[in-house]
Amino acid sequence: MPEASSSPLLRRRLRHGRDRLATALITAGGIGVIAAVMAIGVFLAVEVLPLFWSAGADEPAVDIASLWGPQDYPGLAEPAYRWQPTLPEGDPGPRFNLAPLAWGTLEAAAWSLVIAVPLALGAAAHSALFMSRRLRGYLKPALELMEALPGVVVGFLAGLVLAPWLERHLGLGLTLLWLMPLGVVLGGALWSRLPGTARRRLPMGWAALWLVPWLILLWALAGWLAPLLEAWWFGGDLRGWVTATLGLDYASRNAIIIGMAMGFAVMPTIYALAEDALSGVPGRLAEGALALGATRWQALWRVVLPAAAPGVFSAVMIGAGRAVGETMIVLIASGNTALFNANPLDGLRSMAASIAIELPEAAPGGSHYRLLLLAALLLFLFTFLVNTLAEVVRARLRRRYRRLGDSA
Amino acid sequence: MRAAWRRAGRARLPRGEGPWAWLAAASISLSLLLLALLLALLATRGLGHFWPGDVTQLTLTDGRAIAGRAVKQAPLPEGGMERLYRTDNRDLDGDIWSWVPVADIEAEDRPRDLVVLERRRWGRFVGRLVAWLPAAGERREGEAAWQGLQARLATLERRREAITRLRDTTLLPLARRLEAGSDPQAARALTEARARIRVLREAMEGGTLVLESAEGRRLRLPAEEVLRARRPNAMGIGAKLAAWGDGVWRFLSEGPRAGNVEGGVWPAIFGTVLMVMLMSLAVTPFGVLAAVYLNEVAHQGRLTRLVRIGVRNLAGVPSIVYGVFGLGVFVYGLGGSIDRWFFEASLPSPTFGTGGLLWASLTLALLTLPVVIVATEEGLARIPERQREGALALGATRLEMLTRVVLPMATPAMLTGMILAVARAAGEVAPLMLVGVAKLAPQVPVDGEFPFLHLERKFMHLGYHLFDTAFHSSDVQAALPVVYATALLLVLVILVLNLTAIFLRHHLRSRHGGLSRC
Repeated sequence: MPEASSSPLLRRRLRHGRDRLATALITAGGIGVIAAVMAIGVFLAVEVLPLFWSAGADEPAVDIASLWGPQDYPGLAEPAYRWQPTLPEGDPGPRFNLAPLAWGTLEAAAWSLVIAVPLALGAAAHSALFMSRRLRGYLKPALELMEALPGVVVGFLAGLVLAPWLERHLGLGLTLLWLMPLGVVLGGALWSRLPGTARRRLPMGWAALWLVPWLILLWALAGWLAPLLEAWWFGGDLRGWVTATLGLDYASRNAIIIGMAMGFAVMPTIYALAEDALSGVPGRLAEGALALGATRWQALWRVVLPAAAPGVFSAVMIGAGRAVGETMIVLIASGNTALFNANPLDGLRSMAASIAIELPEAAPGGSHYRLLLLAALLLFLFTFLVNTLAEVVRARLRRRYRRLGDSA
Repeated sequence: MRAAWRRAGRARLPRGEGPWAWLAAASISLSLLLLALLLALLATRGLGHFWPGDVTQLTLTDGRAIAGRAVKQAPLPEGGMERLYRTDNRDLDGDIWSWVPVADIEAEDRPRDLVVLERRRWGRFVGRLVAWLPAAGERREGEAAWQGLQARLATLERRREAITRLRDTTLLPLARRLEAGSDPQAARALTEARARIRVLREAMEGGTLVLESAEGRRLRLPAEEVLRARRPNAMGIGAKLAAWGDGVWRFLSEGPRAGNVEGGVWPAIFGTVLMVMLMSLAVTPFGVLAAVYLNEVAHQGRLTRLVRIGVRNLAGVPSIVYGVFGLGVFVYGLGGSIDRWFFEASLPSPTFGTGGLLWASLTLALLTLPVVIVATEEGLARIPERQREGALALGATRLEMLTRVVLPMATPAMLTGMILAVARAAGEVAPLMLVGVAKLAPQVPVDGEFPFLHLERKFMHLGYHLFDTAFHSSDVQAALPVVYATALLLVLVILVLNLTAIFLRHHLRSRHGGLSRC
């Protein structure tokens, strides 16, 4: 019926009908997609629950105490924490104790934060308040690209390049640790003694660039100094000294290596978020402080940082979430030994790495499988809670900025 | 002097910013330095691997001779240094490495007649070509032997290509037709093709090299065992550059050999790209749908805000958790059911009930869904409200407003989201280890056999290839060059993708910045 379909009333009805249908479809689809993404937590919880009430006949019983407390294992003299899902032939059944894995995860995350947080916050402070606008336009994307480096590449470099290097140059590493900050402060002091023209040629806003050669110089100095100091203090063999005097085992792939690699991987995340928080503080707050005679660092420390503290805090939280869940770096560079000790020079095994290695071999539905799913659930809950907390804090911070911006 | 003193006394302002400001500046410099170091290391080692460097011949104080390339140096416990040489010749020495104390080296030189052969078995050979014994004709020595070998290798290469072509274009399709049902014509053609390949194979036999290692041990090698022969010390810079380009091309276009530590990464590149393409096909429509719902359709209340925070947080959930979800739901759940319903004949060996291309793509799609949703939503939120109101005021329905005004304006944001998702997916390895990546996939997921794209097959992936070669190979030192090259390739791919996303986002900002001003 050509006349009818061209009648304006019918066409309008058709259009509106189509509109209503499309809206309904979009709604259904959108809710469906969001539900699918949210289903992860539900799936993990449903799969894990049977663990606690229906252990199979040949499966060891699992309860809170056996997962987290020290256990008496046949063949061991005293109660111990052990994660040994598969034992060689002839040994009694598997040993499931999540404590070493949880400890390994937290230890790795803690060391990486120890390295990443000062670096990231320092970088954020510098680029928010001191750096020239043009340089910042280049450097911020460069550091954000650093975030995109795949974990497997960072892990490979940490495990196969950094770990053997540090094992051979432990003295140099230790020297760098104190010489770098000292040298940088010294460089700053020298800079302020420079005549005005030289200082104008090396402005503070571009310090991030012209400090790089200075750092290389310090590195070279450390390379010259390290053998002398090692000979002087530690009898020429720092590694031997660590083992003999401190009584610590030195594993080539250890928690410190993990901390460095993962710190490097997590640092850009924290940097980007913290920088956003710091540079989002209304400019007139800092300007007021500067007008009253404060240096820029004082303005940052007393005015900008307190105003942006929640944002900085949430940046660190999100970094912690990433560090806890990072798999490949820990898998490659940690040695994957499930230990329960505080020695930072020993290996570790994290929950994420355990899941990656063991889950493909675990029989679906068995205790081992469900325990690994429990580990995944713990990771999920931890990161989800940490991120939610960070997000809530950031939302509050945004409101505060709006208020600060309006009240002037 | 006095003036300076007075000035300092009057204004108590500190001259500098104090130590902390410098430490802050240094932390950014240190990160840049480390990033530059990392990239430089990857670039030099990854690309340097293909450079046909000079081969050194050493004469030691005890009279032994060694030929090889120096790899690294390390201090000896009793003082002095020792150097690691890659001497190859696994069949003669049982090892391809040799540590030599530097003090023991009496003479070092680079004779032009040292040859480096790439062989099908036993890895490389380093030594001298003593003589070339062609199948027909007389024994040749010296430069004539080298030329005879080169000519023979060129013919061998052509025949190898001919065999591969025959197998791919004629033999395999025929075999498949025969599998489907008996077909006398196909059977005859198959026999014929087999005969032709046999003829080519036979033509490849014949010709023997007489080789001598630096230590003076002799070896006879059939010519078809040799893939390539080079004399690096006699090559000029142009020839070396050509060899380098050839090496890079082979790395990108060939399959792995010798337990993944030699040869190329083509199947891994193909697997990565295919998986990422499937993933973006899955993730983009759903991500955009969810974003449109959240931003345009849903009532903007407390619940929507909570959902938005939830979605944003899912981007921070560790990738391995998504892998666990993919294994539990897709592989064991969905895949198991599909197997029971459609592939009962082949049970208990699983078809879809094990990791594969489809499940890996879906898992990564789920993983990157939050990225796409967040990026698209940002784009949608950036579109000024008056654009929508204008469309509605002119009588458009909501659907028309969305498809004609809002979505075209948000296209760069969607693209950005998709590229970010692809960049994230290309670098993820942990979830793939659970849902379908393989160390060495015997069959590529795409071939001429119906249905052409085999979603249930396992595939190779650059990141996993890197992990596996670096960690599970028996000789890590020998695997390192390939690992570096793979890492460089992976980083390059991801950097390019990210730069595209950054560029697009910049473009988007400047465009909409202009819009909201006017």
